[in-house]
This record gives sequence, C-alpha cells and structure tokens, in this order.
Amino acid sequence: MSQEQIDSLIKKEYAAGFVTQIESDTLPPGLDENVIAFISSKKDEPQWMLEWRLKAYRAWREMEEPTWAHVSYPKIDFDEISYYSAPKSMADKPKSLDEVDPQLLETYKKLGIPLHEQEMLAGVAVDAVFDSVSVATTFRGKLKDAGVIFCPISEAVREYPELVQKYLGSVVPQKDNYYAALNSAVFSDGSFVYIPKGVKCPMELSTYFRINESKTGQFERTLIIADEGSQVSYLEGCTAPMRDENQLHAAVVELVALDNATIKYSTVQNWYPGDAHGKGGIYNFVTKRAVAHTNARVSWTQVETGSAVTWKYPSCVLKGDNSIGEFYSVALTNNFQQADTGTKMIHLGKNTRSTIVSKGISAGKSSNAYRGLVRMNPGASGARNYTQCDSLLIGDQCAAHTFPYIESKNPSAIIEHEATTSKVSDDQLYLCQQRGISAEKAVSMIVNGFCKEVFKELPMEFAVEAGKLLEVSLEGSVG
Amino acid sequence: MLSIRNLHASVDDKAILKGLNLDVKAGEVHAIMGPNGSGKSTTGHVLSGRPGYEATAGEVEFLGKNLLEMDTEERAREGLFLAFQYPVEIPGVSNMEFLKAAVDAQREHRGEAPLDAVSFMKKARDICKAVNLDQSFLKRGVNEGFSGGEKEAQ
Repeated sequence: MSQEQIDSLIKKEYAAGFVTQIESDTLPPGLDENVIAFISSKKDEPQWMLEWRLKAYRAWREMEEPTWAHVSYPKIDFDEISYYSAPKSMADKPKSLDEVDPQLLETYKKLGIPLHEQEMLAGVAVDAVFDSVSVATTFRGKLKDAGVIFCPISEAVREYPELVQKYLGSVVPQKDNYYAALNSAVFSDGSFVYIPKGVKCPMELSTYFRINESKTGQFERTLIIADEGSQVSYLEGCTAPMRDENQLHAAVVELVALDNATIKYSTVQNWYPGDAHGKGGIYNFVTKRAVAHTNARVSWTQVETGSAVTWKYPSCVLKGDNSIGEFYSVALTNNFQQADTGTKMIHLGKNTRSTIVSKGISAGKSSNAYRGLVRMNPGASGARNYTQCDSLLIGDQCAAHTFPYIESKNPSAIIEHEATTSKVSDDQLYLCQQRGISAEKAVSMIVNGFCKEVFKELPMEFAVEAGKLLEVSLEGSVG
Repeated sequence: MLSIRNLHASVDDKAILKGLNLDVKAGEVHAIMGPNGSGKSTTGHVLSGRPGYEATAGEVEFLGKNLLEMDTEERAREGLFLAFQYPVEIPGVSNMEFLKAAVDAQREHRGEAPLDAVSFMKKARDICKAVNLDQSFLKRGVNEGFSGGEKEAQ
C-alpha cells in the first residue's frame, strides 16, 4: 500500500466523523484494515511492517477466541475496543499529587514507592518528564558503550529493521493464538533489546518507568535478543494499579537466547484487579515465549497479583542441546479474580533441563489454576524436568486447580512432578496471634513463607516490593 | 495478677469447665493436674482466647484488666504466653522472622519503636548463646523439623 493510499484511507476515516479528536485522543472503537494502516502510519513504519500487521490481522479474522482456560467472563466485543490512543496532552494530566485519587496514593505509600516515582506512576505532568528524559539518556549512554540496544520497539522497527525482521514473530508467530494474532496486528509499543555477542549487560533493564510514563496502552510487544554468549536480566513492573474498567491487555513477549546466552526475565504484575465485588479490572491475556539455543539458559520469574482475569503461560522451547528453562511463579488471586497460568517446557535438544516452581494462592471467592505442559520430544534424550506445584487456600470460598500435562516421547527423559495443596490453618493463625502478631500480619507472613522459593529468584528490590504487594493484595482477606 | 472467678467454658457447645476459681499472684508457679479430658488444656486455650473456645460464664482479671474482652493477640501483648504442646509448622517462615514479628508487636503495644534488623539479630544470637541453642535455630522454619522437646522449648 502506498503512502497516498494510506492517506486517503485516513482521510476517509476523518470524513466518517472523528476528525478533530484524532491528533490528541483516541480512535473510535472498532478494528479493520484501515485502523491498522492508521496505526502503522502514525508510527512511521516501513511497508514490510504494515504488511506483517495486515497478515496477522487477516489470520486473526479467521480464528476463534479460545475457551479452554478455566476462567469465565462475558464475551469480549472486539468492535467495542479502541485500538489506538495517543498520549494525552500535558494539559489533561493531573497537575500535582493533590489531584490524584487518594486511594491510589495510599497503595503507593504501602508499597514504599518514593514521592517523585509516585508522581511519575500517576502520570503527573510536572518536571518528572524532564527527570525521566535525563535519566533515560544517561543510562542509554552507558548501554550504548556496551553495544546494548534498549529502545521502544517502534523505534527499533525504523532503526534496526534487519534485526526486527529476522526475529519478530520467530518465537511467537502471528498465527500462534487468537490474542497473539490480535497483538501482532495492532501492537502499540513495547521494548526492544539486543545484547551483542559475549556482552554481559552492565545493568538490569526495566520497563517500570517507561510504560507508565508514556501510557503505551494495552497491546505491548517485547522482543529480546541475547546474541551468543551474552547475558541480560530484564524486569517488567506493572505495579501501577490501573483505573480502567474491564480493559483488555493482550501483550506478546518473545525471547531469543542464542548459543550460550542467558536471559532472566522477571515480572511483577499488578494491573487493576477489579473491586471487591468483581466489577472492573483488566483482562490480561498474554503470550510469552522463549527459544533457547545450544547451552542457553532462560529463566522466567513472575509475581502475578493483579488483573481480573489472567491467561498467561510463559514458556521455553529448549531447542539447543544442554539448554535450560526455568519458571518460577507466584500467582495470587483475591475477591473475584480468576487466573489460569503456568508454563510450557518443550524439550527438543539433548540433555535439556527444565525446572518449574509454581505457587498459587487463592483468597476470597477467587479461582486460581495452574496449567502446565512438559513435552519431551523424540530427540530430547537425557532430558530432565522437575515440577513443583503448590497451592495455598485462604478461607473456604476460593478454589485452586492444577492441570499438568506431561508428554514424553523419549524413554531416556526423566520427569518429576510434585504437587501440594494446603490451607492457612486456624492453628497457624492462633500460634501467631498467641505471640501477639495480628491476624493480617500473620497471613502475610505465612504467605510470604510459602512463596520464599520464588522470591529468592527475584532481583533484590523486586523481592521486597513483591512481598509488600502480597500484603496489600491480601488486605481484608481475613477476619 | 491473674484472677479466675467461676469460669465456665465450652468447646463446640460442649461444656468443659464448670465453675473454675483460681488466683495466681506474681512470682507464683501453679501446676494444674488431672485426668485426661478434665479441662487442663481448655483452661489454657480459653485464657489465651483460642477461636472455638468460648467462655460462657464467669470472669477473668489479668493485671487489673478484663481478659475475656480482649482479642487473642491483645492478651498475648499484655503478657499472657502459652507454650504449645503440639505447635504447628509454618513452612518458609524462619524463626528469626517469626520472633521479630512477635517482638515488634510487643514493642508497638508498649509504645516503643521496633528494633532494627541488625540489633534484633544481635540480641537473638545473644539469647541463643545464653540458653545454649545452636544459632542455626534462627534460620530454620518455625517448628519445622523440630524434635518434640525443641518445639516446646521454643
């Protein structure tokens, strides 16, 4: 499609009635090829990127929304969603913390987030923007010296097209699943990381600030490439509670660990979970997958406390011999939250190893399911898997489910699976209370103890935050 | 110090204590003995406020306060301590964390600032030494893998 055609399409849309709003605000709801062309042109994308999106869109039209997950929610009307929202102008943002919802500030305070970070998270239009610009440029300089590329993916599409074209969709193809196809068609932004051969990334990379600051929206796309022998640790923090009601969040994350490379990917997810009556909250339908080549190692660590409905399976394709995949997860649901989460470990290479440690905590009337697949392909001789799946129940109205799938096509592969279900018992609470500890503090201490194996995998400051986050999320679950 | 007057208590609507009277003065040690099912443990649990153990009549005064009106944790903060016969395990929570949470609650109750982690650890190690307990005890999970005697000592 030529530039003129795109322009005419956009003009046609203007004529349809949303003319004046476009520059500053949101596309009207609905999705068709014009909308995709609009998004692509807004981002100055090259022709191949637009075609890639359109291919995904056409595949998506033919696909069915999956229903196998152990969650229930009203059917999503994809024509009710707006697929592009430009950053609002400074004038629309709150001028100071005085204008921000006090409940939101209370949560930040409990999480121990410093004041100027609070301002950033709440999107306050003060000098915070200047701050973040200078911060960004200083660490970008340091990364550049090491040869590391860390930038928004929309920038990478323009600046590093050969890398993006080679790897985008190589781990999660456009047609992989319904939400991945949708994301491929309309993704708004996300991160791009490239670590050159043999380089150990000099600092932890994080999207903590960037996503919140620029409000990139619901369809993030992240692509991380660790070239041969390189190492990187990447943190993804969604700790700002979102205020929107039943918003769809469909992200795709692709990790490529080439020979001898190591990628550690940590997530602390706390999207708005809806209120205590189950109203509102984010639908979090995320596809995360990694390919590990020879001797490479990929480690997913996630702490999931937010979202009304979660559908998420960070996975590893252990393609190269001796590659290692790890999955450490804490998923907590409270009130009416529903989570169906777990991992897939696909063993293709010889002597590949995988470890799965999953801790599910259910409170209130929530439902928490672990769904995992361990597959040993015929070529995976000497492969090993160890899975440990623990559920903790708080109260008597919540549910925990475990759906482990194990397929072994190689007789020399060893698979171990352990699972437990336990309750925070009255006796444990009594013991704590008899030592003067309040019931709420006791529950948070017991839950933190339950999650310890996973928390120790998190980078230091995240571990502290995750602990506090559990405490906040569990508030009101006892007594 | 502790004054129990005509205490009646029941567990699951079953009357166990039917009019217990006891006065304990500061510094006194009392031993309550009796056959199985006579209500020794029930007495302990009713005094410490275990859920499910209900005082149906009578009064208990502890340090001049009405004990039965207080929550379990309040009674503990006032100084009532129960050594458990069969303490439960809390997997993943170290004794150090557990003791710090207990001490912090106690200090807060007395209007004192919580101890910082370093001074608490030093104090805990000193106490371990004084009572001849191996330091590794502090790192172990609460009641995890203890012998019966060790559990009671804690």
